[in-house]
Amino acid sequence: MDIAFSPAERQFREACREWLRANVPAEHRPLNAVDALDFDKSWQLRLFEAGWAGINWPSEYGGRGLTLIEQVIWLEEYAKASAPWIGANFVGVNHGGPTLIANASEEQKAYHLPRILKGEAIWCQGFSEPGAGSDLAGIKTRGRIEGDEIIVNGSKIWTSFAHVADWQELVLRTEEGSEKHKGLSWVICDMKAPGITVTPITKMNGQTEFAQVFYDDVRVPLANVVGGLGNGWKVAMSTLGFERGTGFISDQVKQSQEVDALIAKARANGMIRNDVVAEDLATLRVEVSALRAMTYRNVSEVIRNGQPGAEASVIRLFTAELGQRIERMAVRLMGAEALDFHYGVDNPVSDYLRGFAATIAGGTAQIQRDIIGERVLGLPRMR
Amino acid sequence: MDLAPSEDQIALCDAATKWLGQNMPLDGARGRNPALFDEMMAMGWIGMTTPDIGLDHASEALVFIEMGRCLAPLAALPSAVAARWFDAPGKTALAIPDGDAVDDAVRIFDGEGATLALGLWNGNAGSIALPGGLPAGACLDPSSTLAVLNPSPAPMVASDGRAGLHLALLAAAYALGCAEAARDMAADYAKLREQFGRPIGAYQAIKHICADGVVRAAVARSQIFYAACALDADSADAAYHVAAAKRLADSAALANARDNIQVHGGIGMTDEASPHLVLKRAHLLAFVAPVATRVLLDAVLES
Ligand SMILES: Cc1cc2nc3c(=O)[nH]c(=O)nc-3n(C[C@H](O)[C@H](O)[C@H](O)COP(=O)(O)OP(=O)(O)OC[C@H]3O[C@@H](n4cnc5c(N)ncnc54)[C@H](O)[C@@H]3O)c2cc1C
Repeated sequence: MDIAFSPAERQFREACREWLRANVPAEHRPLNAVDALDFDKSWQLRLFEAGWAGINWPSEYGGRGLTLIEQVIWLEEYAKASAPWIGANFVGVNHGGPTLIANASEEQKAYHLPRILKGEAIWCQGFSEPGAGSDLAGIKTRGRIEGDEIIVNGSKIWTSFAHVADWQELVLRTEEGSEKHKGLSWVICDMKAPGITVTPITKMNGQTEFAQVFYDDVRVPLANVVGGLGNGWKVAMSTLGFERGTGFISDQVKQSQEVDALIAKARANGMIRNDVVAEDLATLRVEVSALRAMTYRNVSEVIRNGQPGAEASVIRLFTAELGQRIERMAVRLMGAEALDFHYGVDNPVSDYLRGFAATIAGGTAQIQRDIIGERVLGLPRMR
Repeated sequence: MDLAPSEDQIALCDAATKWLGQNMPLDGARGRNPALFDEMMAMGWIGMTTPDIGLDHASEALVFIEMGRCLAPLAALPSAVAARWFDAPGKTALAIPDGDAVDDAVRIFDGEGATLALGLWNGNAGSIALPGGLPAGACLDPSSTLAVLNPSPAPMVASDGRAGLHLALLAAAYALGCAEAARDMAADYAKLREQFGRPIGAYQAIKHICADGVVRAAVARSQIFYAACALDADSADAAYHVAAAKRLADSAALANARDNIQVHGGIGMTDEASPHLVLKRAHLLAFVAPVATRVLLDAVLES
């Protein structure tokens, strides 16, 4: 075991730093998905043109073909440089693209992957439904096959960036009368297709970032099925694997920056003299250190043995709850100033309110604990 | 950068786990044959980082985690540090001074057959010569004996600050061993014990307690790996990373040990069953190289 980076990796880090120093935009990313769309797209294109998009994606689809280590180095430097969140690009970059790389046909990959990397195509994820959240296998949105098309009817909800998206990872029931994990398909759905209605939903921090999507006889070409008709559950699980796994590295890196900023703030406003505050800050600091160590360990294991499996849920759960503890501390250090928050303000209160998502989206904390109990420890299932 | 154990390290660990499972099961932590300590010594597990054996801190920490899982003797911690930094092979007892003043009292654990004891004074490793005929009293951790020296003989303090970090790292490894032992004991019992017609581990109230134990142990293990590597690399922020590892391992050990008792129900709080052995060891380890909050907040980290 060794924490030192190789000379080539250090050189790579230096190159990341240099580029970020010169290129991170001075203006803030707008809060709402619609207002931020141009910002998100042009920033992603700049990343792509400079060679920083898809660092560990295969080079034939526009990536750099490097390893997960370079990806981690990039994300560390990205966070240190306070570069903006990739916003609307996150579904395509973090799990849509990786799912295609792992499961899609050559034509699908050749068409979609470069567009994702260039920020030309915004993706969203249509998994959850009003009646199927944690119990994802309960989805009812259905697709009837007619010739070389699937006719889609039903509804998805909590779909992040649906109102600005071009494409969707849509999981639906293509086999009539099928139940649970069987008879599902994962398809690429054109969000501009006739019959789609998107109703944006505002979150409790005032941000309008997700939506409900209605499908009324929407026609999706059969050629858009990924991983084969009826194999949707398997493909969806690979999507969730990416969403819960490597997709979170950037959050993890950001958290360490945030805690050091909070310690500095508590010193400046004198709250550090409160022993309870000092103790809690010290705990957060060691926890973010351990999170980095965990990420390194995870990356080392993935490089050595392939995908990490259920252990990803351990990191995912810890990251989510640690993030919320950090957000709560940030609000605590604001004192009564926290009360000045109102919609449109971008401050720690907004992050705190938005941060409730961490233990809900992508599988709730309860579901993650079930997974850890059952797949890591082998405890019996109840469901 | 590679924070996963190498093949050699995995082989070393596997061998240790196997020997420990056969010779030093956790439930025999009380009244262990002293000859077992000598055997561990003879196998080279104590003093792995001495120039003679020449292994790194990471390999040693991995073996100490396995030893910690079996509640191996406390004296292994100070003995490994004494062998590396005080040129003192053989068994060294664990010293926990009452305060940082040199003439405060000192508690000596697991001292039979030892002529030296080692502990931390002001964060620095120091050794004291033990008088003959130490009483072998009982203490919270039933695997160990206790003698109190009041006042403490003057310690001979190591000139190298890394000696204190070494003791803290090994104590963290032992604490992680407790956390993992408690985690596994709880999960095993949750699969076995049935109530309302089902194994209790099927109930989420129990399952999620067990899952939290997995998270705590994984967090501490990761930081211990990092800290061991930082110590091996002589990084400027090694002291911080070791302290962070110790803090996380202690809290994982205590929380998992407490949860394990709850998962066991009535049997969990008996003298006969093993869960209390882990809890008591965890409490003791928290006094070995305790971490000051200031150290954690003030440390300047390499980026
Ligand atoms: C900000 C945000 C963004 C999201 N983005 C997307 C997206 O882009 N695409 C998408 O498809 N989905 C998205 N989601 C949806 C998300 O995946 C679901 O909200 C999540 O899976 C939970 O489903 P639910 O909301 O229906 O809650 P429910 O499943 O109804 O859960 C309600 C409560 O019950 C608990 N619960 C449920 N089942 C069990 C059980 N078996 N044992 C114990 N407790 C249980 C849950 O943990 C939770 O506390 C997003 C959600 C949020 C908050």
